[in-house]
Amino acid sequence: MSIRRSRVTRAAALVAGAALVLSACGGGGGGAQGETFAECESNPNTCNSAEAGALRDGGEVAFALEKNISNWNANSAEGNVLETGLVFQSVLPKAFVTQPDLTPAMNENLLVSAEQTNSNPQTLVYQIQPDAVWSDGTPITATDFIYNWRTQNGRDCPDCAAATTSGYDQIRSIEPAGNGKAFTVTMSTPYTDWQALWSGDVVIYPAHIAAQQGDINTPRGLAAAYEYFGRTVPNYSAGPFQIEEFQNNTAVVVTPNPRWYGEGPNLDRLIFRIITEAAQEPPALANDEVQVIYPQPQIDLVQQVRDIPGVSSFIGMGLQWEHYDFNLENPFLAEKPLREAMFTAVDRQGIIDATVGQFTDKAEPLNNHNLMPQQEGYTDVVSQTGYGNGNVDAARQVLSDAGYRMQDERLITPNGRPVPPLRIRYTVGNQIRQDQSELFAQQVAPLGVTVDVEPTDDLGGTLSEGDYDIMVFAWVSDSFPFSGALQLWSTGSESNYGGYSNPEVDRLLAAAASSTNADQARQQLNESNRILAEDAYVLPLYQKPTFIALYDDIANVRNNSSLDGPLYNVEQWGIRAE
Amino acid sequence: MPERITEHAPAEREFTVAQRSQGQLVLRRFLRHRLAVISLVVLLAVVLLAFVGGALWRYDVATLTGDYSQPPSWGHPFGTDAVGHDSFAQVMRGTQISIGIAVLVAVFSTLIGTIWGATAGYYRGALDTVMMRISDLILTLPLLAVAAVLGHNVGGSWWLIALVIAGLYWAYVSRVARGVVLSLREKEFIEAAKALGAGDARIIFRHLIPNALGSIIVNATVLVAIAILLETALSFLGVGVRPPDTSLGLLVSSAQTAVSTRPWLFYLPGLFIIVIALTINFIGDGLRDAFDPQQTKVRE
Amino acid sequence: MLAYAVRRVLVSMPILIAATFLVFVMVALSGDPLSELRTRNPPPPPRTFELEAQRLNLDEPLLTRYWGWLTGLFRGDFGPSTQSTLQIGPELFARFVVTFRLIALAMLVALVLAVIVGVISAVKQYSGTDYTFTFAGFLFLSMPSFWFAILLKEAGISFNNAVGSQVLFTIGDSSVFVEGGTWAQFTDILGHMILPTISLALLSFAAWSRFQRASMLEVLGSDYVRLARAKGLRQRKVMTRHALRTALIPLTTVTALDLGAIISGAVITEIVYQWRGAGSFLLESIDRNDVYAVSGWLLVAATFIILFNLAADLLYAVLDPRIRYA
Repeated sequence: MSIRRSRVTRAAALVAGAALVLSACGGGGGGAQGETFAECESNPNTCNSAEAGALRDGGEVAFALEKNISNWNANSAEGNVLETGLVFQSVLPKAFVTQPDLTPAMNENLLVSAEQTNSNPQTLVYQIQPDAVWSDGTPITATDFIYNWRTQNGRDCPDCAAATTSGYDQIRSIEPAGNGKAFTVTMSTPYTDWQALWSGDVVIYPAHIAAQQGDINTPRGLAAAYEYFGRTVPNYSAGPFQIEEFQNNTAVVVTPNPRWYGEGPNLDRLIFRIITEAAQEPPALANDEVQVIYPQPQIDLVQQVRDIPGVSSFIGMGLQWEHYDFNLENPFLAEKPLREAMFTAVDRQGIIDATVGQFTDKAEPLNNHNLMPQQEGYTDVVSQTGYGNGNVDAARQVLSDAGYRMQDERLITPNGRPVPPLRIRYTVGNQIRQDQSELFAQQVAPLGVTVDVEPTDDLGGTLSEGDYDIMVFAWVSDSFPFSGALQLWSTGSESNYGGYSNPEVDRLLAAAASSTNADQARQQLNESNRILAEDAYVLPLYQKPTFIALYDDIANVRNNSSLDGPLYNVEQWGIRAE
Repeated sequence: MPERITEHAPAEREFTVAQRSQGQLVLRRFLRHRLAVISLVVLLAVVLLAFVGGALWRYDVATLTGDYSQPPSWGHPFGTDAVGHDSFAQVMRGTQISIGIAVLVAVFSTLIGTIWGATAGYYRGALDTVMMRISDLILTLPLLAVAAVLGHNVGGSWWLIALVIAGLYWAYVSRVARGVVLSLREKEFIEAAKALGAGDARIIFRHLIPNALGSIIVNATVLVAIAILLETALSFLGVGVRPPDTSLGLLVSSAQTAVSTRPWLFYLPGLFIIVIALTINFIGDGLRDAFDPQQTKVRE
Repeated sequence: MLAYAVRRVLVSMPILIAATFLVFVMVALSGDPLSELRTRNPPPPPRTFELEAQRLNLDEPLLTRYWGWLTGLFRGDFGPSTQSTLQIGPELFARFVVTFRLIALAMLVALVLAVIVGVISAVKQYSGTDYTFTFAGFLFLSMPSFWFAILLKEAGISFNNAVGSQVLFTIGDSSVFVEGGTWAQFTDILGHMILPTISLALLSFAAWSRFQRASMLEVLGSDYVRLARAKGLRQRKVMTRHALRTALIPLTTVTALDLGAIISGAVITEIVYQWRGAGSFLLESIDRNDVYAVSGWLLVAATFIILFNLAADLLYAVLDPRIRYA
């Protein structure tokens, strides 16, 4: 059935697009390259579209996946891996799916409606599509949602090593209604990000298959099923595709699910080809061994892909953001003027120009700690502080106002102690972060502060042990930002590695995360960010670019920088008819 | 001492020639190996360039010049990288460190390996068995794999990487040294030394090792080349030298995607690795011929 | 000879155990297997960390853990991986099969080429051909293997573009799907093997051709070859019957001793060509601080090397009648 695309047909298809490709080449560092993604800048949600009639019947596409799948339980701490999530977009459903413009949209294939009907107590009502079924014909019902909630609320299954419990632990009860095709969720405390429930990096597993592993009303049965889902390649599906074959370490092959209840899919085979080294993806793409790649961009990689004829690429601005963090446990850095001066001396635009700016001119200094510019409520909280503009004179002024002085080109604190050399750390092998560290060191050097660049191969350990003075790394923001913010900046939170503490910020974040009014929550979040910025604890650098490249004849594939990734609409993917 | 030769009358020349030391003979034979001599000159030039040129060059290895990803030009003969480092400064620094690693590896593993192997070969018996089992233990492990485990742990300072490689490579040297010593210890001059009442240490250090020196030097030379390539491989696997240190291996492996886009970053450090390893291999070849003339003089 | 072989194996056992102990301790002391979990946002609940620590025996003292691993081996249990679903034993087996397929072919290619080139170089010593081969040999010896592999890959893609069809592949050991019959499968596998095999073979080829040249020269200079010539035997017969046979014997030992280096080379080849062999398994395990997986890997690799060396020694005895093991 499937049509293996030969080089010859591909070459013929290329000629038509050649003129457009050439004209786009001169553009330099913009987002889109090639004809396919030309509209994605202005219409992220609809660009590269093709109606079903314009598509070839069937076809095969290989997508480069950067990790092997070792655990099939995407909700467990171990299986909660971006790559696993990408594969599951084609197999297991979610309540909400993040669109390319980073707004969450209800999964209309699965749900008829999902609404907040009451704010005290917060009450949510879900209606499931009547014809939504698992691939063995069992209807998808409230039972599935309840089962998944129970594995993740941290109470019913203590041995389920869940990736996250946030939100689920606030659910007081779930009441099924109407043959199980509807249910009502009552929260014990308000959860602003309620749309994140059964969404984001969480997928819905079939309760009836879990029940075959043990009594899912007992902790033991729940744990047994949880573990079963982890080690077993799914032979069930409720998505447009089902897993036909898993070649360990090599590929996941999915084919259309005959019991799929939505539209599509157009392809008759989708291969997730595992390529663990990003550097090997451009050659594989050039050699037509894969047709879509989604690696982290890097200057040479982007350029290599742009040089491949017949391939279009797009750089998007994602939900990950780079930042410099201070460790406030260091007594010198506990003093705000020193932090303030260093952040004032840092030139973010200069850093962007020397790093990601070389392959995209879309990268700009980021001015918020939790919301990205595409997201509703994004407010610039950094500019008013004057940080990140490379203003060395202002930085010196801050220091001398606070009583610091220079002696033999070294900075002396007001109480007469010289500021010792500080260490900036980054993940070994990450060239861009290495560059960012060196630039930081160079930019604060005129203040009399010596910063030594030191890589770490264990980012998590280094952070949690506080074995750093300054750290440059990235956080993944979310289309559901509030609970994440609470964990990052609250006093004593485990992810608040630098030991930041501000009671006012704590109060605002807690209020923002447990609100039934999203607009108000965004205001509170921004207010907390404003204080956070003033306190010079974390300086946001820029949104990390994401990068997607494909052959021009593949339609309906778009960049999606969220956790759902470009596979958010995998049922629509197809190959253009010639 | 060439002057003395010329001072003597022609009639005496034969006699003085016969008195030439082993070293002079070796040197003479080495100089006859044209490729080895050329290699030596090239290698010295590279070393000089790296250490003197690198020190005099207008950019330091850490300087951020503000020129991003420039191809080679008069201002930057080797171009610049993405963040604006001058690649000439980087390659020179990389060469210094790569050579440093290689020499350190050669010296350490030769020292330890020779003493280890010579002691084992000289005493034989139980001591030999124990010592050689320890060597075997190291020889059974795939070098790169163990170096990768160790390199991951010791964390990237260039001399630590050198110690890791040396800590594995001495076992190879000890095998060679033991073999040579085993054959030497039965020779008459050792028996003579023993008969004269020389102590074991004296015999090992004054008689056995000097006579095994030829093989050991040749081996050590080749080790330099091997160590440079091994460091490169480790850096490629991400377990070698780490910033802020740099090395040729680190430079070339961080430019592995730049082959077609910024070729100067990929080819130039690679070229330096090849030139250094190649010249050292030729020098080793020349030394082997010089120390062991029978091997080459088969049919002329 | 059997007694000799058994004794050799027995002597190797303590060496193996000591080697795994060293590696086990080094990996265990170096990194935290749970570090990846700590970088998660939102962070997993504390209970998750407890469960993982328990599963990986992190709560036990180091020596107890090692002892548990060692005794587990006799039951065929390689211990828990940081990836709970990964069965280290079967995974190691599958991965080593892939690697050995790569290594076997590469060694074969390298050996055949090395013998041909070595013999030609020796017979035509100091000729233009000899100099060319010598220089090429030294050049390959002096080239970083991944550097060459990357260039070879580029060349392979250019080749495909030149002939207009996908003859050579750059990723993996076979296509995920091959349409067509046995022939199509065969060409597919061949297309996947060519580039990695060349990459891996060239390094050994260079060293072995130099070695073969030297041992051939030695044999050619020996008395019995001179005698054979003096008897008036034809040059071809002298070469094949008398000289080559003897000159091949030392190469068997060298080949065996180089197995460790070849496995090391395969690590790099597998990364560049994305083969899922033992080499990539090792690197992944090191990255994850997966103590049991790394130790298991070393145990298997070292066992292979020991057995291979033993086989070479025995073969040596068969080939060379002067050597007898008692």
